[in-house]
Amino acid sequence: MLRKIMAFTLITFLLVGCSTSETNNSDSKTEEQITLNVLMEEVPDTDIAIEMVKSFNQENENIVLNIETLPYDQMRDKLVSSFLAPEAAYDIIVVDNPWMYDFSNAGYLEPLDDKIETSGSDYDFSDFSDSLEDIAIVNDQKFAIPFYNYATGLVYRKDVFEEQGISIPTTLKELCTVAQTLTTDEAYGIAAQPQKGYKIMEEWMNWLLAAGGALQNDNGDIILDSPEAREALKAYIDTINSSAPKNSTNWAFDEALRSVASGDSMMTLNYNWMLPTLNNPDGEAGSLAGNFALAEVPGGQAALGAWFWAISSNSEYKDEAWTFIEWISSPEQEKSRVISGGAPVRDSILDDPEVWEQGYGEEYYVTLKNILADAIPLANGPNAEELIQVVGTELNAAVTGQKTVDEAITDASNLAKEIMNE
Amino acid sequence: MSKSNSPSLTNDSVSIYKWKLLFPLILILFVILVFPLGYSLWLAFHDFSIIDPDSNKFVGNAQFQKVLTNPMYWTVMKNTFLFVLIAVSFEVILGVLIALALSKQRILKNFTRAVILAPMFVTPIAVGLMFRFILNNQLGFIPAFLAKFNISIDFFGSNYTLLTLALIDVWQWTPFIILMILSGLESLPQDPFEAAYVEGASKLTVFLTITLPLLKPVLLVAILIRSLDALKVFEYVYAITKGGPGTSTETLQFYIHKLGFGYYRLSEAAAVSWTVVVIIMIGLIIMLKSPKKEST
Repeated sequence: MLRKIMAFTLITFLLVGCSTSETNNSDSKTEEQITLNVLMEEVPDTDIAIEMVKSFNQENENIVLNIETLPYDQMRDKLVSSFLAPEAAYDIIVVDNPWMYDFSNAGYLEPLDDKIETSGSDYDFSDFSDSLEDIAIVNDQKFAIPFYNYATGLVYRKDVFEEQGISIPTTLKELCTVAQTLTTDEAYGIAAQPQKGYKIMEEWMNWLLAAGGALQNDNGDIILDSPEAREALKAYIDTINSSAPKNSTNWAFDEALRSVASGDSMMTLNYNWMLPTLNNPDGEAGSLAGNFALAEVPGGQAALGAWFWAISSNSEYKDEAWTFIEWISSPEQEKSRVISGGAPVRDSILDDPEVWEQGYGEEYYVTLKNILADAIPLANGPNAEELIQVVGTELNAAVTGQKTVDEAITDASNLAKEIMNE
Repeated sequence: MSKSNSPSLTNDSVSIYKWKLLFPLILILFVILVFPLGYSLWLAFHDFSIIDPDSNKFVGNAQFQKVLTNPMYWTVMKNTFLFVLIAVSFEVILGVLIALALSKQRILKNFTRAVILAPMFVTPIAVGLMFRFILNNQLGFIPAFLAKFNISIDFFGSNYTLLTLALIDVWQWTPFIILMILSGLESLPQDPFEAAYVEGASKLTVFLTITLPLLKPVLLVAILIRSLDALKVFEYVYAITKGGPGTSTETLQFYIHKLGFGYYRLSEAAAVSWTVVVIIMIGLIIMLKSPKKEST
């Protein structure tokens, strides 16, 4: 009897195993239906894109999108591993701007020039903000389509500024003074995000540009070792010590947002799309919602980050992948995406009164257009990811007192040059 | 049937049969252990970058030279060993004390042990995230509690950060030491203790002269296992500090991950990994030799 039960169980398992395996095989490709594997980051903009897939499928029933979302670090690890696989693990990927040069130069991204060309004038690639277009073009070829931007701006408490008669700071010196003025026993002037690596770079780049310095020149050479960089870092550290919340040297975006939303801090240099989040009456800011505004960063030139749609060069379904990218980045769908809360990338959308009305108001989109007009990517060229991480580590060491300003800038510059020469 | 009547049990056939039995295991070991190790060794002697796969070439020991002459490698090594030293020291002291207390327990013995051992069964990445929030200045109850006494500590952004990470490790892995010491204590012979008490020895003298020497083999193995395990610390760093502030909590495993996946330099990451393999092998040899030495 026992033997019979065991035999029955074994046969059942085998049958189940066979049927599962058949199901998987039929899933990947049939004559009628094609499944595109997509890897994206776990962020609100991805959620909006996922919602839009339903509309895409109404027009394109034969293309199924299998979207995998992961937190930033895990996503990057998985993406990098997938490039080494003999067969495409992902057909569509989203690419962060520091990865663009390395990935396209290594041949992992499909050039899109022909596809953009055949999309016609209605698609209008030149409508994407110039600063974003520039990132997508490597060695005169277009490898990606802008998805959403995370350019930085000055997010501030409009009510407090008006009440105290404070003007929006337009220079580094004014920023430091305003931060100190706003610091009281109850609140801090500015919420910083000096966490090692990426976060501090995203923030401090604005200070560097406002001081008249830069990380790289137009040729991509490192020009960090300058009096302007030292001035910017000294001002940044002094402001953190005098006007930022205590024990915030490991803070990143979440902490800065929370500090501003709770009324603990009066301003922050951060992603522009933080504004809609703060002004959302159902969001973290609660009764403070509606009191926040966005301005250009002091000096006018902001640090730019952006994500892009791209097609894996080893994908079997490049045409189908382009069908989706072309659809979701078209002016019509871009409008719908931005009205749903997505961060804009097309100039025409930023100028559209319908978007202003149904989105977050004219002021926000006009300011954002000005920010994007001359924003500068965090880093350009080969090894940009490493460059950002290494310089960001040195800056954080200075903020936490492990290195002097002079040591940190000298070391960061030397390491950056080594990285660029590798 | 007697054994001598069996025609099949010649030396040769036993030998072949033995290898046939071992073959599946050898095959699995080759696939999951020998191949990855061999491949990483091959990588360590090449110059393979994920973003420039075509320029891959044999470079001899250049990767090892690059690694060993890089000050960052030595900073990372120092951080890792400091972490191991702090974490394992606290774990051993606390572990021995708690195990001694638990060995005398009479009621709710199993319940107490189950509760104390619980942290060990939580996945380290979850522990990292848990402490990231518990010690967060905006959300965590520990900073909020300390604030009531006007105490303000920057757990993740100061010179104490490596200590914070080591104490998280202590929270999670002291139960392991307790488990080892408890089993050691329960297997100790009672005669020396009874003789000592009859002679009027104090509890401290008994502990120092009898308990500790008798526990030495167990303690040594526990320390070595924990040290080798703590050398691999990655999750707390990844979930909480990303190696910061500056480079003060950057540990070997985090550094390897950063080089390989963050900076795409697989060969350099493989070279660093092999230096870790050598360190762990030395530790293992010591660990495996020690009990034998004690038993002779």
